[in-house]
Amino acid sequence: MLASLFLIGAALATPGMTVQQASQAIVDESGGGLTEAVNRMVGGIISYVGWPGRRAGDSLTLCQVGTPRLASSLAPDIPGDRPLSLRKTSAGAVIANGGCDILYLGRLSSADRMRLVQWVRARPVLTITDDDPACLYGAMFCLAHREAGLSFSVNLDAIARGPLRVDPRVLQIGRSVS
Amino acid sequence: MSDRKPPRTTLQKLLSRFHFGVTLFAVALSGLAIMLAGVAALRGYADRNIELAAQLGAYGVEPALVFRDPQAAREGIEPLTHIPGIAQLRILDDRGALLTEWVSPQPDPAPLLTRIFFPEPFALPVRRNGSRIGTIEISGDSSTLLDYVRIGLLAGLICLIVTGLGTVALARRFEYELVKPLGEIASVAHDVRLHRRFDKRVQSLGIAELDRLGGDINALLDELQGWQGHMESEHAMLAHRASHDMLTAMPNRAAFDEQLAARIEGAATRRSRFALLFIDVDNFKAANDGFGHAAGDAVLVALAARIRAVLRRADFAARIGGDEFAVIAEPVDARADAEELALRICNAVAEPVALTDGEDYRPAVSVGVAIYPDDGGDGTALLTVADSDMYAHKLSNRN
Repeated sequence: MLASLFLIGAALATPGMTVQQASQAIVDESGGGLTEAVNRMVGGIISYVGWPGRRAGDSLTLCQVGTPRLASSLAPDIPGDRPLSLRKTSAGAVIANGGCDILYLGRLSSADRMRLVQWVRARPVLTITDDDPACLYGAMFCLAHREAGLSFSVNLDAIARGPLRVDPRVLQIGRSVS
Repeated sequence: MSDRKPPRTTLQKLLSRFHFGVTLFAVALSGLAIMLAGVAALRGYADRNIELAAQLGAYGVEPALVFRDPQAAREGIEPLTHIPGIAQLRILDDRGALLTEWVSPQPDPAPLLTRIFFPEPFALPVRRNGSRIGTIEISGDSSTLLDYVRIGLLAGLICLIVTGLGTVALARRFEYELVKPLGEIASVAHDVRLHRRFDKRVQSLGIAELDRLGGDINALLDELQGWQGHMESEHAMLAHRASHDMLTAMPNRAAFDEQLAARIEGAATRRSRFALLFIDVDNFKAANDGFGHAAGDAVLVALAARIRAVLRRADFAARIGGDEFAVIAEPVDARADAEELALRICNAVAEPVALTDGEDYRPAVSVGVAIYPDDGGDGTALLTVADSDMYAHKLSNRN
């Protein structure tokens, strides 16, 4: 019931008009360059997200869709060494086969992006993108490379729609900065 | 007593000094123990306080460390800046680089206290899923301790004063309890020694040892009193024996001589006269031989009693020889008075004496009279006159 209401609301709203609570946190780009900073940030985000029915130590699958813009090779650095398997795949394959806990959205066609965002709704899947600095297109976490360094925004709307549990401290980091 | 000895102190002073020392020692010792315990407890609380603050801070800065975000770290430690007693906060990332730092704007009120309680900052590692992602370092300061220490010191001081006063009061009381009975014993001993008041006794005392001492002194006094009484009666007896005739209990020759000299002196001063009567038992030797010495003694006793019965209160009678008695009658106005007294004595002794073997003996005496100062100015002269007068009578009686 609630999910269908969300679906109706989402269908009516154009992607650009999606209510967003944009949040940012600045991360120093130290020694290892941007790729390392991205991996660290993605790992940090993953560590603050809880999947229903999964325990903190359980293995996760990250599906990389499209080409990452900010990282040359994706290898998230999760505190506590949580096992993570990486899979490079396509939007169609994701929707057809599932099996992804995290979707990393790189450079994509807007149609694919739209399809994936629609598909993710109400599923326990975390979406992170590095191709949407303003965080307008429905991903939960959006990485952005600015002059001050690497930062991320949080789309609270997108998070609220799904069953994932995100540690409020992460949300607060962004919220207070905005 | 002796000048060579060191100056004496009183028991009270000694006890007072001793008590003061003991009290001071006890109070200082307990005060020190309480202070040490207080400092230990205080340190425990202070450490716990800092540790709790560090744990709170670690929770707050954890995402900031994950994302290496100084701004978020500042916000993460913001709640800690309102906790009193924190001087400095430092957030270090996993490589030990400083992420953010906060220093209390308030100056440390007591740096010494801080050095004692927080010699080095408390460091708590921040962990994320078991891996160390950074460190939070907290330096405490003395602002929260200062009030506690102040109140503690004040309370300690008040306790010290109260304890001191209480102990001094108790010591006084104890001294009084001890010194008073000792003083009582001393005063009794003093009284006995100085005033020979052997009837004085130490009252029953509240302290067992002193009571025993008092009891011993009382027993000693009992013995002393006994000796004293015995000595006095012995003395009196000896004095009586020296001046009295054992048989008739009359004063003897020595007492008589003394008395006569005193009477002469008195009469000379007053210019009055007295009579000396010399009494000799007639044929006493014959009675003694005829009836035995016991009978003779009985006769002498009876005679003495009869002579005494005739005399007035101020008159003096003595046995001055085996069967010789002397009487000083004073005052007498004329020779006639003395002659009359002599006659009365003669009549009084003339009654028969019942001897032990049932026989009666009828004694008789001859009395000679001498008057002072008419017949002589000294005892010898008077005795000579009285003696010769008696002889004259005896001869006339025989005839």
